[in-house]
Formats: sequence, structure tokens, C-alpha cells
Amino acid sequence: MTISSPVLRNSMRLILPLMLLYALYAMLKGHNEPGGGFIGGMIMATAICTYRMSHGFAAQLRLMPVHPRVLIFLGLGLALGTSTVPLLLGEPFLRSAVGVFHLPFSGHAFHYASAMAFDLGVMLVVVGVGVGMITQLSEELE
Amino acid sequence: MELENFIILFIVIPMGTGVIGVLLKQRVHIARVLGVLSFLATSALAIGLLVHLRSDPAGILVSQMGAWPAPFGISVVFDSLSGLLLAASSLVALACYVHSFSTVDPVAEKRYFHPMVQLLMFGVNLAFLTGDLFNLFVSFEIMLMASYCLLTFGGTRLQMTQAYKYVLLNLVGSTLFVIGAGLVYGMTGTLNFADLALFVSERQARGEALPPGFAALSIALLLVFGLKGAIFPLWFWLPDTYYTCNVSIAGLFAGMLTKVGIYAIARTFPMIFAHGHSDAAKVVMPLLAISAAFTMFLGVLGAVSHHNIRRILAVHVISQVGYMVFGLALMTRVALAGCLFYMIQHMVVKSCLFLCCGIVERHTGTDDLDKSGGLLKRDTYLAVVFFIAAMSLVGLPPLSGFFGKLVIIREGWRESMWWLSIFGLLTGALTLLSMLKIWSYCFWSPSGESIERTPANMPNTSSLRPAYIGATLLVCVALFLGFGAQPVYEIAYRAGEQLAAPEAYIQAVLGPEVIENLARARAESAALATAAVEVTP
Amino acid sequence: MTIILSICVAVVFAVSLYLMTGRELKSIAMGVFLLGHAANLSIIAMSRTPVRHEPQLLKGAPILTEGFDPANPMSSIVDPLPQALILTAIVIGFAVMAFLLSLLVLTSRKTGTLSIEELGVVATQDD
Repeated sequence: MTISSPVLRNSMRLILPLMLLYALYAMLKGHNEPGGGFIGGMIMATAICTYRMSHGFAAQLRLMPVHPRVLIFLGLGLALGTSTVPLLLGEPFLRSAVGVFHLPFSGHAFHYASAMAFDLGVMLVVVGVGVGMITQLSEELE
Repeated sequence: MELENFIILFIVIPMGTGVIGVLLKQRVHIARVLGVLSFLATSALAIGLLVHLRSDPAGILVSQMGAWPAPFGISVVFDSLSGLLLAASSLVALACYVHSFSTVDPVAEKRYFHPMVQLLMFGVNLAFLTGDLFNLFVSFEIMLMASYCLLTFGGTRLQMTQAYKYVLLNLVGSTLFVIGAGLVYGMTGTLNFADLALFVSERQARGEALPPGFAALSIALLLVFGLKGAIFPLWFWLPDTYYTCNVSIAGLFAGMLTKVGIYAIARTFPMIFAHGHSDAAKVVMPLLAISAAFTMFLGVLGAVSHHNIRRILAVHVISQVGYMVFGLALMTRVALAGCLFYMIQHMVVKSCLFLCCGIVERHTGTDDLDKSGGLLKRDTYLAVVFFIAAMSLVGLPPLSGFFGKLVIIREGWRESMWWLSIFGLLTGALTLLSMLKIWSYCFWSPSGESIERTPANMPNTSSLRPAYIGATLLVCVALFLGFGAQPVYEIAYRAGEQLAAPEAYIQAVLGPEVIENLARARAESAALATAAVEVTP
Repeated sequence: MTIILSICVAVVFAVSLYLMTGRELKSIAMGVFLLGHAANLSIIAMSRTPVRHEPQLLKGAPILTEGFDPANPMSSIVDPLPQALILTAIVIGFAVMAFLLSLLVLTSRKTGTLSIEELGVVATQDD
């Protein structure tokens, strides 16, 4: 379902990078503040679907050259993997490693948590599911 | 290595297999091998842990997700109740999965059939393991989502039109569950089963009343679980649903889905919503008893009136659920143990019957009793397997159904619910009648022998081999449950004890201090009561 | 606030029940989605009750060490559980919606109708 509106086409060029960037920001912010993998993934899926609306399916394939199934696999695998690793270390499932990481030259402190990998996995799943769902449904309608 | 942390493997294994299965969409053979391995692993793990727990005095394994302390985080609990159900459900899933290799449509199989079966078991296992109400909701949803997909597999017109009944009804039920969970949190400030049980026990120990509306909340949740478990007024979705889908999947559903609903009642009502002699219990118990009588009796009447094997078996699920609700309605430890024993034997036997029905359908091309017959001579092995499974369902003495029914009906007699016991005995007799109906029409009657053996109704045996393996596996488990009932019943009795007196469960999840506080509160209120008695005269 | 929320819940419930009594599968599906929203709203209404456990135990927990005032714990954090419940329920509702919509599309393609009466007729015919 492509909408051939020049306004949308041109503004999309501007909006798409912003939306993708904001999606990443929302995902990373989610550890301590509102946000998280689900929200980030939703924003990213919306961006990709809007891009498809303005530029067509071929353009979407160029932007996301993998089948949504692969994203779902990678995301679920990553989430499941990061939550299973603690089992091997004698810790309960889903236990997150937290700590502070100092950047080598500038000395900036960087707070990290292994739960971030889990969030990244969630984001991949949500992007895969969202895009896959819209693609399937709009193929049916076309 | 702590053993507790490994109980999460019941969830990780099916989920991991399902995730890999998403990628192996076209490679059916690898997906099949992985699936079988996954179910083998979960069954071995469940049986191993159960054997290990027999010598353990506490008998409960708890793992706190992410090491968050108990009432705040997500607890995963493996006790005798979950253990027995996990073992039975993994074995049933294994058998039905193997059986499906010979019944599933090869085109449909490539459309995420394998991941869906794994995700169904992911949901079922999570439901059995989880230690809080909201995760129970989540696991129900995972399970239902997979079941919606499996139900509409193949996408025939009949499936499409019948699926709506199941899907929409369950969606409304799930919404009610969310509202119920929210209300529980609003009233008690917690969703953890152990913490909820503690909340109720503390209130009762101090002689305080439960929050207003607690009884109404119990009824709402009973409605939700009853809908999933297909108990008396809420069973109308079941016969049509099991009639339309693939027969191996119908076997899996018959084994799992209703039992998860019953499990949810067994887990939450004796410990929390109908614990002791609260107001809620006074409303819930008679409701359960009446519902048990109607579920047993009306279900079996429906089974007697039908004339298709699949319909008879599907309606029978309802009638058998009635026995479990009967056990729950008594809510003594023996009755709960009987209920649990009956549950696992029913999972095994009922799925086995569905699997046999799948083979019968392949032989005769239909499940209409009038059009089939003479199978005893054509396939003696199938006849033997079917007969053992059918008689286990009826409950003839050395077979498994007998012990569950015996315990429940005798306990009903002792607890002065003799009218329910009479309903149970009557239902047993009618069950025998309906099973003999299938037996005599399908296997004994010579009419089918005149049916010509065309290539269409003469299936090649090699494609049916997985089906026979599945049915054989389940009938072996059923025989073990009959002849080796003693050790299984011991575990079930322990589970009944843990449900009737939730202190062990609370202690395992929340730690020993809370139990000491509870005991102190009980002692104080007992002292107050004796003081009051001394003052009054 | 609670009164406004409860009015909202009531209105959404009424609308969804009205939609669910319709004769088109589309309107029934919309009614079911709205019912989920009503449930989520009712959880928000529920979440204003005081927490049973003082979050003493959470002091050492990693997520709350920054910006957490131990002297007055209840003022610095919002009860997170209802929000977690609602987020989970929304995600599940999302999946259910996707499934139901594709089921609707498939049904209309297979049977050519989405009206309940006509589906009842179709169900009795053979494929």
C-alpha cells in the first residue's frame, strides 16, 4: 500500500533517520527511565512501515534486507541467550551483571548492565513482528 | 551449581527449540529431531527431579528470577504438584508430537508447526512452574496464542468458522483474568502465590476479616479458570474445537488445555481464595460441588448421545474434568491428592485415546461409528492399545483410572458429600457404556470387513509408524500409572498436603521468618480466645 | 482521579460490549480489543492503593541506588508493578490483535463473508 504523495516522500527522507535514532535512544534509555526494548522496537517498526508507505516495498527491502523471521530468531535467541548465561555461572535465570566501565582515554564512567542485551533482543523481536505483521496483512489486502 | 536454578530449563528448552524452529521453517526433519529431543529432555528432567525430591524433606525447589527477593521478583517454584504435571505433560507432548509426524499435512507442517507446538509447551510448562498470578496470566496467553494457531492450522473453512468460538471466548476470559489480577493487587498489594497465601493465613490467624469483595474476586477468577478448564456452565466451546483440528493436536489439547485450567484452580483456591473457612470458601465450595456434579453427569450424557469417535472423546474430556473438580470441591489433602493423580492419568489416557482415534480415522477414512467396523481383525495391536486406554479411562481395577476415582469417591463419602459420590459412580458406569459403544461399533462389529480395501483406505504402514509409537508410549505410561500407582500416589499425596497446608510452600518461597511470625500470631490469637472463654463464665 | 478513571472504564466497557453484540465479526473483534483497553485502565485505577511491603528490601537492589531517598522511599518511587502489568497486557493484546486480524482476513478470503449468520451457513457446507 503505497501513498504517492511528494510531501510524504520528501519529509520521510528527513524523518526516517531521526525516528531510527530516537528508537535506539528510547531503547538505551529504558534501563533507568521510561523507554525500553518494546518501545524502541515499536518506534523502529513504525518508521520502517511508514517508509514502506511512502517509498514502496522494494525500498523497505533495501532498508531491512532480511526476512522478519530472521530478526525474530535473532532477537529471541539473544534474549534467551543472555538470560541463560547466568545459569552456567550458578546464578538464577535472568540475573543481570551491572557495573561501571571506564572509557580508556577520556576516563568517562559508563554504567552498563547485561540486561541491555536482553533489551536489544526484545527490540529486534518487536521490529521483526511489527514489520512482518504489517507486510503480511498489506500483502493480503493488495 | 545450585539445583534450584535449573528448574527454569523447563521453560528454556521448549522456548529455545521453538526459536531455532522459526529459522528451520523448511528443514522439517531437523526440526522434528530437535522437537523430540526437547520433549525427551524436559520429561527426563521432570522425572529426575521428582525422584530427587522424594528423599528431600522440604520437597520444594524455588528459583528467584534475576535474584530479586521473593515478593518483588518473579518466583519459579517446582513442588510435587508442578513436578507430576510437568512430567505427565512432557510425556504426553512427546507422544502427540511423534504421532503428528504421520497425521500432519506436509504443506502445513512448513508453516511454523514445530515452533507452535514448542511454544504451546513453553506456555504450559510456565503455567505449572510460575509462582505468581500475573505470570500465570502470561503463560495462559502464550499457551492460548499457540493453541489458536494450531487450531486453525491448515485453514479449512470449517476450522475458520469454528475457531472464532474458542478464540473470542478465551479473549474475553483473558481480559477478565487481567482485571482479576489487577483487583487482587489492589486488595492485597501482592501477586505472589506464597505472599497471597501468607496474607490470607495471617488475617485468619489474627481473626481479621478478608478485604470486602474478596469473595466476589474469587468467583471472578473461578470463572476464568473454569472457562479454561471447561467446567459445568462454561464448557460449550470444547466439543466443536476438538472436532475440527488435526487429530494429534486434538490429543495434545485434550491432554493439556483443560488441565491447565484445573491446575490453576488447584494451585490458587486451596491455598488462597478458598483457604480455611473464609467467606470466600463458603461461596466457592458449594459452587464447585454443584459444578462438579453437572460437569461429570452432563458430560457423560453428551458422550453417550454422540455417534462420532472424536465427538465422544471430546465430550468425555468434560465429564472427566468433573471428577477433578469433585476432588477440588472437597479440598481435603486426600481429595486433592486424588484429584492430582486423576489429572495426570487423564492427561495420559485421554491423549492416548485421541491418538488411537487418529489411527482409526486413517484405517476407515472417517470417525463415524456407523461407517467403521471390523478393526479388531484388521489391526489387532491397535485394538489392544485402545482397549487398555479405554478401560483405564473407565477405571477398571488394575488400571490407572481406578485409583484416582477410588480415592476421590471414597473421600467424598467420608466428607458427607455422598450425593456427589453417587454421581461419580453413575458417571463411571455411563463412561463404560460409551467406551463399549466405540469398542463394539468400531472394533467388534463385523460390518466394516465388507468395506473394500482400496489404496485410499489402506494406509501404508510405514507412514503410520510414528502414530503407533506415540500411542504405544502413552499406553505404557498409563500401564505404569496403574501397576506402579504406589510411588506416584505418594508424590501426589505430598502435593495434596502442600496444598492443604500452605506453610511449606510459603516458607520455601519467602523464607522461614514469615512462618515464625505466622505461628506467633496464631498462638497469640489462641491465647486471646482461651482468655475470652475464661472471662465469659 | 479515581472517579474519572472509573467513568472512563465504564464508558469503554459499555462501548466494547455494544460492539461485541454486533453481527459482524469486524465489530466483535473491535469490541474485544477495546475490552482489553478497559481492563488496562481498570488496573491503573487500582494502582493507587498503598503498597503492602515497604520497599526496605529494595535498598540494595541495583536499579534504585541512584536518586533513591531512603528516608522517604514512598515519595521517590511510583508503584511499578501495575505499570509492568499493563505493559505486559498491552504486548499480549498487540499479539492477539495481529492474530485476530489475520484470522479475519483469512476467513473473508475463504468464505467471502464476515457476517455471523452467513458464516453459520457456510460452516455446514463442505470444503
